[in-house]
Amino acid sequence: MNVLPLYPNDAFGFPTGLLVGTLIGFAFGFVLERAGFGNAKNLAAQFYLTDTRVLKVMFSAIATASAGIGLLSGLGVLDLSALTIPETFIGPHVVGGLLLGAGFIVSAYCPGTGIVAMASGKWDGFWSIVGVMIGSLAFGFAWGPLEGFYRSGAMGSVTIAEVLGVPFPVVAAAVVAMAIGCFVGAERLEAVFAPKAGKVAPHSNARVRHVQFAALGSIAALGLATLALPSPKVAVAAKPIARIGAVELAQRIVADPQGLWIVDLRDPKAAGPERIPGTATLPADTTPAKLAASLPATRTLVAYAQGDLASLPEGFATFPGDVLVLSGGYDAWRSAVLSAPQPPADPTPTLVAQFRMRSALNGYFTGAAAAPPPKLVVRAVAAPAPKKGGGC
Amino acid sequence: MQPPVERPYWNPYAAGFALGLVLLGSFLVMGFGLGSSSAATRLAVGAAHLVAPKATEANAYFSQYVGPGKSLFEDWLVFEVLGVFLGGLVGAYSAGRLKSEVLRGEGVSKGRRIAFAIAGGVLMGFAARLARGCTSGQALTGGAVLSLGSWIFMMCVFAGGYLVAPFVRKEWR
Repeated sequence: MNVLPLYPNDAFGFPTGLLVGTLIGFAFGFVLERAGFGNAKNLAAQFYLTDTRVLKVMFSAIATASAGIGLLSGLGVLDLSALTIPETFIGPHVVGGLLLGAGFIVSAYCPGTGIVAMASGKWDGFWSIVGVMIGSLAFGFAWGPLEGFYRSGAMGSVTIAEVLGVPFPVVAAAVVAMAIGCFVGAERLEAVFAPKAGKVAPHSNARVRHVQFAALGSIAALGLATLALPSPKVAVAAKPIARIGAVELAQRIVADPQGLWIVDLRDPKAAGPERIPGTATLPADTTPAKLAASLPATRTLVAYAQGDLASLPEGFATFPGDVLVLSGGYDAWRSAVLSAPQPPADPTPTLVAQFRMRSALNGYFTGAAAAPPPKLVVRAVAAPAPKKGGGC
Repeated sequence: MQPPVERPYWNPYAAGFALGLVLLGSFLVMGFGLGSSSAATRLAVGAAHLVAPKATEANAYFSQYVGPGKSLFEDWLVFEVLGVFLGGLVGAYSAGRLKSEVLRGEGVSKGRRIAFAIAGGVLMGFAARLARGCTSGQALTGGAVLSLGSWIFMMCVFAGGYLVAPFVRKEWR
């Protein structure tokens, strides 16, 4: 089924990813050079409408890629949810966009094309990249007062398709239609503005243009046609049973109580009054399947019984959101969370931190005061886990 | 060895289609599109770290890039940008466009052109960090996956460019 994208699906590891990434970059740089983007004059011409090459190349690329993504995800070979969708921050995107546009016309490069220009021996390209580096550092120095604005208007990873409530291929087709409309308009503007500036409007090869418009239109149309296919999601329904440990569940209840639906599958009479806080019990006249169907998929569904659950109860496997089973059931909860943890006999920083955390959770869920931590004997310092960096 | 003769650029629609295939390929293989500015940022922060390691690590923004257990090369986009440079180099050489020069409008001095290139670069470096990406990481990449913020960003890039263009017109006469 969904085999793409390869890297997030663990088809290869990080070192191979670096090599593949270099090759992708090579293709990117080569095409940018052939598109004429290593030359500041071609880029500046966009803003005086004497040659709208920038718009033609950029919109063709975006239309091609989004129509392709729409088609492949519609066919069920590409997992749309595994793609990284840049998050939306309205204020920073508006202000950042305006400033970057201003910098674009002042330097006549953008960061990517500056690198290609530098590789082509253009010293103005080299200096624009030096400027980008200085600007990045300036942003870091201004971080304190900027942080609030940087995080403002956060909407998360949201696509235009989600905002409009329509499938991805529909918006992709609209992008293709808009791109073709822009191309026709841009060629008319070139015909007006190029002679005014004493230049010849760029020659447009009608055959290439028609082939490209037809190719884009066909990919978009095929993407739309996949909407008529029976939903490919059905085959994904049989989820493997995912488990969560009692301590981890306790942490999640403390950190984000609104993020979970916790369902007690035990017989209410036999189980007695003790249950995990925030639990929904099964009313007498309903089944686990009916309960699961009545819950919105905005939260993670957690199920538990007295002991371990060998399989998901009926109806839980088809819950559209995440489903977790408490490993070891209520018994594990009682021994890991409700009973006071023993201080480590051999205290290392890691064990002491664990004890403190367990002790705090125990206090939180039983109302008991947390036990004082044992004396720390420093033996080894755990190496901090490497964090993934983000960025463009 | 005689350098290759100069070749024309590709038709912009064909080049755009090819660029779209590269972008699509990156999504299919890596799950993300393309990037440029973050590598420049990493390089700049790395240089600052060499000069003043303590001060750089103490900065809350830079500390995401440098510090104990962190490497400037842990992001595949750094290698991708190395590829962009190599691809640009091979592309320029094979098309006979590899030439040491300062591109500028008629009557514009080299110094003036370089000052504009640096000033525009500073604006872009700052803006790309504020917007979490540039024309590659936001406009192309986010545009292809229809990210709302990326499309707003892209429209604002064009708006910003057209607003400022009349004031720097004589640089390109």
